[in-house]
Amino acid sequence: MSASGWPRDLIICRCEEVTVGEVEDLVARGITDPNQIKRLCRMGMGLCQGRTCGSVLEALVARLSGQGAAAVGYLAARAPVRPVLACDIAAASDADLPDFADPH
Amino acid sequence: MREADLVCVGAGPAGLGASIAAARAGAKVLIVDENARPGGQLFKQIHKFFGSQEHGAGTRGLRLGQHLLDQAREAGVEVMLDTVAWGVYDGDTLALRQGRDVSRLKARRILFATGASERALPFPGWTLPGVVRAGAAQTMMNIHRIRPGRRALVVGAGNVGLIVAYQLRQAGAEVAAVVEATGSIGGYGVHAAKLARWGVPILTRHTIIEAGGSERVQWATVAAVNDLFQPVPGTQVRFEVDLICMAVGLTPLTELCRLSGCRLVHHPALGGWVPIHDSDMRTTQPNIFAAGDVSGIGEASIALDEGRIAGLAAAGDLGFIDGPALGEAQREVRERIQAMRSGPLSVKVARAKAELLGLPDGGLEEAADSNQPAHLRRLGWLCGTEVDALPGVPEATAVGSRRVAVVECAERIPCNPCETVCPKGAITVGTPITNLPRLDPSRCTGCGLCVAVCPGQAVFLVDGSRPGEEGAVVLPYENLPLPSVGQEVAGLDRSGRAVCRGRVVKVRKAYAFDRTVTVEIAVPKEAVMAVRGFRTEEGGEPR
Repeated sequence: MSASGWPRDLIICRCEEVTVGEVEDLVARGITDPNQIKRLCRMGMGLCQGRTCGSVLEALVARLSGQGAAAVGYLAARAPVRPVLACDIAAASDADLPDFADPH
Repeated sequence: MREADLVCVGAGPAGLGASIAAARAGAKVLIVDENARPGGQLFKQIHKFFGSQEHGAGTRGLRLGQHLLDQAREAGVEVMLDTVAWGVYDGDTLALRQGRDVSRLKARRILFATGASERALPFPGWTLPGVVRAGAAQTMMNIHRIRPGRRALVVGAGNVGLIVAYQLRQAGAEVAAVVEATGSIGGYGVHAAKLARWGVPILTRHTIIEAGGSERVQWATVAAVNDLFQPVPGTQVRFEVDLICMAVGLTPLTELCRLSGCRLVHHPALGGWVPIHDSDMRTTQPNIFAAGDVSGIGEASIALDEGRIAGLAAAGDLGFIDGPALGEAQREVRERIQAMRSGPLSVKVARAKAELLGLPDGGLEEAADSNQPAHLRRLGWLCGTEVDALPGVPEATAVGSRRVAVVECAERIPCNPCETVCPKGAITVGTPITNLPRLDPSRCTGCGLCVAVCPGQAVFLVDGSRPGEEGAVVLPYENLPLPSVGQEVAGLDRSGRAVCRGRVVKVRKAYAFDRTVTVEIAVPKEAVMAVRGFRTEEGGEPR
């Protein structure tokens, strides 16, 4: 057993096959921002886009870092939030294309 | 580019409720849903819903869904199916994909009614085929009519876990156990009681440790846990199962809210991160609303009403309804939501919502402290003392003198079809709707309408008045095959234990009550207050 109480080889991100141990090692280095963890190990970057593993990651980081869930934060959302082919966006007529300016 | 006054993302109860309200006021409304069928989760809900007449209580979820779709169509709402909203730009433009067609849609107001996803629980073996989240099992059974396994372990005793466990039995699967890590059943006790009386063990303070199998799940180990949710050594039990359903909670699907710049707040009682919203369901982005599970996990009837409020507010923004009419329409819906959330099982949600909206939560403390039947919450069935204390349970003298209803409703659920259906006024719920049903045995004629209508299957008829040793119990029954008249059975008590022999004397198909059958079994007189289920003597589980 490991720092989290879960086996280190337990897969927690099925799309990208990220294990508990990989996340534990990042948190041990002081990295507790879910978004930073995502960029470093690809957790939450697969087909589910964090819909399955996002809350697992947040709970794991909270447990390892001793922070509350509110302090840990959440994975930022990025368009496209559902799968869409780039060629289909390219094929859309100009009138139908979203304006790809910053969403905010 | 297409344009609309209001675009709702998600055609579940919240999206449909909002669309109908806004379209009736005159707004041009469009609903986008990624599924091939609208209705959200409603069409998976084959059980009857709690609530009042305005909510269509006693109606199965799927019929409620059909009813809402008809209303939406009549109101002129356009529904785009198989369409995903994959982005939001400039705060008013949705990026859509329908098949491989990419387009955009500009809306003067947007409602995110995107619902929730089920939480996952990682454990060794959770990636094996046969480990699913409970909603997936429900989709297989109730939409695609596929039995997802022969013998199941259900992890989590909230409403989802309890309901799916019951539906697994209806689909012909066996449920080895329902395990729950906390010391208390999270869902309604009536849902737990429906399982317990047919012999499904509900193990509180237990969790799954591991699952294994060569190609797919073949077994699972379960252990007791301590107060820190750590497994207690030496308590491991192995179950041979080919299906594990995870039902460990829901979490709001907020990606589109996040993309739109809506600020979120974390509330464990609401399922995690939810968009901050006001009592109009308006987020921190003035043109964007959120309603239903995405704004805090709750029940379908509340999602529907939250949607209605948001739809009315959006229509008001755009001048389709004037101020006084808007206030009037919203007030009625808000009062209904408040009544629905006034029960003791909703107190955490009610408190979180009150905090979020900056409202006083007076009265909630009192509701929380009201007596809860401890035995029911811990084991899934009412003990004798708890039964005797209920205002819906007649005294022994009444049971001995006539055929009479026994209303085993113990948790102040906001629900009253038993009162509405009774032609003699023998059952009273009154106001608030969370009152426990009170029975006046002298008015009860033993007609059994309340047995068939109760969404919680918590009403029975007992008869200890006949000459001789034999009495009778009438039970609600929703399994196939139906027992046949004359069949010998074992009478089961509330915990599913065989306590006497019995015989089926009547099988009544009350089609007016949407396929809830009532089965009358003859049992010894002294057992009429004990028997609440039965098992055919061939030892066969129902199918």
